[in-house]
Amino acid sequence: MMDIWTQLLQGFATAGTPVNLLWAFVGCALGTAVGVLPGIGPATAVAMLLPITAKVEATASMIFFAGIYYGAMYGGSTTSILLNTPGETASMVTAMEGNKMAKSGRAGAALATSAIGSFVAGTIATVLVTLFAPVVAEFAVKLGPPEYFMLMLLAFTTVSAVLGQSTVRGLTALFLGLAAGLVGMDQITGQARYTGGVPELLDGIEIVLVAVGLFAVAEALHAVLFEGKVKESENRMSRVTMTRSDWRRSIPAWLRGTAIGVPFGCIPAGGTEIPTFLSYAAEKKLAKGSHQSEFGNQGAIEGVAGPEAANNATVTAALIPLLTLGIPTSNTTAILLGAFQNYGIQPGPQLFTSSSTLVWALIASLYIGNVMLLVLNLPLIGLWVKLLKVPKPQLYAGILIFATVGAYGMRQSAFDLFLLYAIGVLGLVMRRFNFPTAPVLVGMILGPLAEAQLRNAMSIGEGSAMVFLQRPMSLTLLIIVVAILVVPRLLAKRASSPGNSLA
Amino acid sequence: MRPHAPPFASNHLQTFVGIGVLLLALGLGVGALSIPSNAGYAGVGPNFLPWVVSVALLLCGLTMLYHARQGGFRHMEEATGDQPYWPGFVWMSAGLLANAALITTIGFIFSCTLSFVMAARGLRMAEGQMATGWSSWAKDLLIGLLIAAPVYWMFTQFLAINLPGLTQSGWL
Repeated sequence: MMDIWTQLLQGFATAGTPVNLLWAFVGCALGTAVGVLPGIGPATAVAMLLPITAKVEATASMIFFAGIYYGAMYGGSTTSILLNTPGETASMVTAMEGNKMAKSGRAGAALATSAIGSFVAGTIATVLVTLFAPVVAEFAVKLGPPEYFMLMLLAFTTVSAVLGQSTVRGLTALFLGLAAGLVGMDQITGQARYTGGVPELLDGIEIVLVAVGLFAVAEALHAVLFEGKVKESENRMSRVTMTRSDWRRSIPAWLRGTAIGVPFGCIPAGGTEIPTFLSYAAEKKLAKGSHQSEFGNQGAIEGVAGPEAANNATVTAALIPLLTLGIPTSNTTAILLGAFQNYGIQPGPQLFTSSSTLVWALIASLYIGNVMLLVLNLPLIGLWVKLLKVPKPQLYAGILIFATVGAYGMRQSAFDLFLLYAIGVLGLVMRRFNFPTAPVLVGMILGPLAEAQLRNAMSIGEGSAMVFLQRPMSLTLLIIVVAILVVPRLLAKRASSPGNSLA
Repeated sequence: MRPHAPPFASNHLQTFVGIGVLLLALGLGVGALSIPSNAGYAGVGPNFLPWVVSVALLLCGLTMLYHARQGGFRHMEEATGDQPYWPGFVWMSAGLLANAALITTIGFIFSCTLSFVMAARGLRMAEGQMATGWSSWAKDLLIGLLIAAPVYWMFTQFLAINLPGLTQSGWL
């Protein structure tokens, strides 16, 4: 316990240097901006800026990226409350009640409860990360290749088969990502795969290219092709304050939202859709009397406070599996893992010993960043709201300039820009036919690692796959994977069978 | 024009998506043939995952093809937006491809400005701003320059990312 405390103080000392504070601030501001702006999210922003890893020192850039990562969560709620078009999935639930509140003249209260709720949840979750990440890391050291492979298999399964509407399309996206990850040199034998004799491809396909193409370029192409006539209407701002009754209703909702969000962040199940929606459902159920009737009518403040807190708690807690196991569970954490890899650092249990300065500075910067974001998003909210006025043609065309920086800056190859366009078109098709994108990135980044673990595990088993069944931990994980795939299907089948149709 | 008709996501096109995945799977399978196994102790070598991916994509492609022929993909969301507006798409695509083709010759700033102007043109047309004169071109040109130039300086001077310039001065 004392140990954690001294290391955290050390982290504050590193994160508190003027340069690192500046990185954190710029990251938070940029994150809020990309959160507010439609058409660009934290994953895209971090991906576009990945080339800076070539020059900027590791601690500084991780602090910067983390600032963007959770800054975008604060900014996203502003857009979903003020604009009547749902933005990113994370803030869709906030939009349900937030919009209603804004329409009945309570935009200010909704913005306040979401900013303060994000702060409360983010801070509580950061405390939990501080306390538990080292413990998980200590435990994770004991895991061998078979367990790691099973954990990664679990991440693949949840990210592709559980989230999203269709398992087939989720799996297709996952295997597309795995295929992209195959290009290049095999990690263990050095064998070239799918390079077609092109020397550039020996290094593999750049993550930046895939992420920026799938998100930024595809988004811009989708906008020009389908959204020209979509008119957005903006709700009126009101003073950003909360009444005494708002506070009384918000505080328990924040705490419940946090309690729901944290566990979902910790398990490799990814995504904020489930926890935010659960929190919304819980608040709606727990509300009494006139408060309950506000849901769906004038807009209930609990319905904004809870999901917003759940969202931030999930996002922060997702750093636990990322830092201790090296397992990303969302687009943005997958790209953060890519950033670590650019520095030759492999997140995992050893991270807390081998790069302890970096990790603790990163954790300390979460505390600092949350305070910065509270200031940026309460007194200065008016500034960000102005961003919503940026006209769409200039917004998307501008995003394309930044996309060029990211794609070209990584490898200085004009060929990559053609590839970027091709990936953008692929992303457009995927979006149009409802393919999820997170599995592509997770598959591409985690794929090579999972393959190495698989082959190491098989070596331990001397070529026999029984090794996965003989070790209790890996067997347990395997059972969980199978259950995740089978149980929802059985339940759906039971629910739709004629015998239960009346129930 | 029918509102909300989703021609882009019709069953016909879904068939093509399924076929596309199938072709990719076959391509990956052919590629996997040429990867030696070198399995060693592990029993699985560098060609194992390529085979898994090929077979899995083959199955996914077949399933999608079957769904597309049997009433369409399952659990699709309502398609959002309007009828596809191809002229805008062509403008933006041309802008992006011109950027890729020209960036090393005319430099980052001008190439990106050109791409910006063309993409913005496509988006303006998609919004129905047909009667736009020289002023809108000039406006986009100016905004494009005002974004591209500072971006170039910021990334090349402060973050030491190599972006191509028109001259060797580092400022243009």
